[in-house]
Amino acid sequence: MIHLKNVSKVYSNGTEALKNITLDIEHGEFVFIVGSSGAGKSTFLKLLIHEEKPTFGKVEVNGYDLMKIKRNKVPFLRRTMGIVFQDFRLIDKMNVYDNIAFAMRAIGAPERLIRKRVKSVISVVGLEGKEKCRPNELSGGEQQRVSLARALVNKPGLIIADEPTGNIDPKMSFEIMKRLIDINKAGTTVIVVTHEHELVRAFGGRVIIIDGGEIKEDKLINGSDTIGEEYTDISDQPAPSVLSDQQDNNNGEADEK
Amino acid sequence: MKFNSSGYLVKEGLKNIWTNRMMSLASIIVLVSCLIITGAAILVSINVTSLISSIGEDNQVNVFLDYEMSDIDAIKLGSTIKKIDNVVDCQYYSKDEAIKEYKEKLGNLYDSMQGEDNPLGNVYKVRLGDLSDYRHTINEIKAVEGVASVSDRGDIARTLTKLNYFVSIVGSWIVLILGVVTLFIISNTIKMTMYSRRFEISIMKSVGATNTFVRIPFIIEAMAIGLISGLIASVALISVYNPIRETAGNMITLIGTSTIPISDIWLNILLGFTGTGILIGALGGFISISKYLSKEGGEILGW
Repeated sequence: MIHLKNVSKVYSNGTEALKNITLDIEHGEFVFIVGSSGAGKSTFLKLLIHEEKPTFGKVEVNGYDLMKIKRNKVPFLRRTMGIVFQDFRLIDKMNVYDNIAFAMRAIGAPERLIRKRVKSVISVVGLEGKEKCRPNELSGGEQQRVSLARALVNKPGLIIADEPTGNIDPKMSFEIMKRLIDINKAGTTVIVVTHEHELVRAFGGRVIIIDGGEIKEDKLINGSDTIGEEYTDISDQPAPSVLSDQQDNNNGEADEK
Repeated sequence: MKFNSSGYLVKEGLKNIWTNRMMSLASIIVLVSCLIITGAAILVSINVTSLISSIGEDNQVNVFLDYEMSDIDAIKLGSTIKKIDNVVDCQYYSKDEAIKEYKEKLGNLYDSMQGEDNPLGNVYKVRLGDLSDYRHTINEIKAVEGVASVSDRGDIARTLTKLNYFVSIVGSWIVLILGVVTLFIISNTIKMTMYSRRFEISIMKSVGATNTFVRIPFIIEAMAIGLISGLIASVALISVYNPIRETAGNMITLIGTSTIPISDIWLNILLGFTGTGILIGALGGFISISKYLSKEGGEILGW
């Protein structure tokens, strides 16, 4: 599904954001990308969604060779993925329904299909009854669920969540992560970029640690493992109790992997 | 673009006009001014051309005789004129007939100008054969003894040609300058719209909207501004054209009879203005959008 081979990215100002990265993510995986600010996580994501082109190496996403992809094919690459942003990026003047429907309208979907699909994803993210609410009438967690619904509505095979819990409280973070895991269980590949170690430990799974533009670790973890604190500048806080409960449930899954 | 999205895209484009109403209004005002000035220059030009053409086709000149000349001498002089080559007809038109005609047209103003107080001269209305020999024939008539002057419409035609040239040159510059200003303002209106909708654009691109799909509402907005401006400018110009033509026709008969009536050109004005407005709008919109659409993600949001 995602294959990076010897990928490097050097920006025009000389910053070497990624150094010789080789990585494979297969269909149906749930992967955490962890790293401190400036580690290269954002550049990694930009390469996947083709906002940036690699300087060297080969990037293949959902069957598209991103070194050779033509400009007019980029929208079709992006239709194979859904993106969840840290800042939600909801449109203030639109209600929940329209914010989600917007993603389908933007690719020219018929209104009948939009009505059916939006209703369905609203139920998946648990926002029934909130269809008419504007973003400013929702909590941070609810707004992120709208963002998640928008990412899901075009039925992509890949969800990329960029710091999805960065702007919401710990309880809601757990809620969002749980939704992402449910989505993954339904067969969608999920990549979560985060710097919150406690969240990663709570859910476990495949964790790729990026530091200084390089992959430092790529491993399966469970709750008792450390996850490369030496590469980050974020000090771990004790995991909230709600996460601790979930940790017990997920450790088993991580062990199985 | 799929057919089922066209309604949505048009609606979005029209909504943008209201959302950015101040900039839209500024664009409309400038574009209306530009169209009216352009249209006025074109109308003056085609009317002057029509006048010149009608003067060119008119092969009759008025030969004014010396004021003191008696009727008998005047009749003798007529036979001399008739003998000149290229003169095909020569009709006497006495000053008494002339003042009578003026009195009928313009009323009591000429009551006191009867008999010896008549300021007009006797005239021969001379019709020429070959217009290419116009200048030579006029000179021969002028050389006849007793001829005071000849109404030389060639001078009027030359003056009008100069006026036409002046209108064309000045009009072209004004149109060029206003055209650039209009493009700039429309382009800025669209840029502002795009900036205010940068989140939407970035989301649209992130979910796989094509550049054409993103572009269409903005082009529609710009074209609608052009269409509205074209309609306003057409109505304004069509409304003032006839009153101006009638007023000018009252002052100079030739203008009233040789210029183009509004019924012949109103459709051309309407189609020309709306078409030009839409074209300028589309061009202005296209210029600003193309630059913006080459950006990606954070660049769109200005991060």
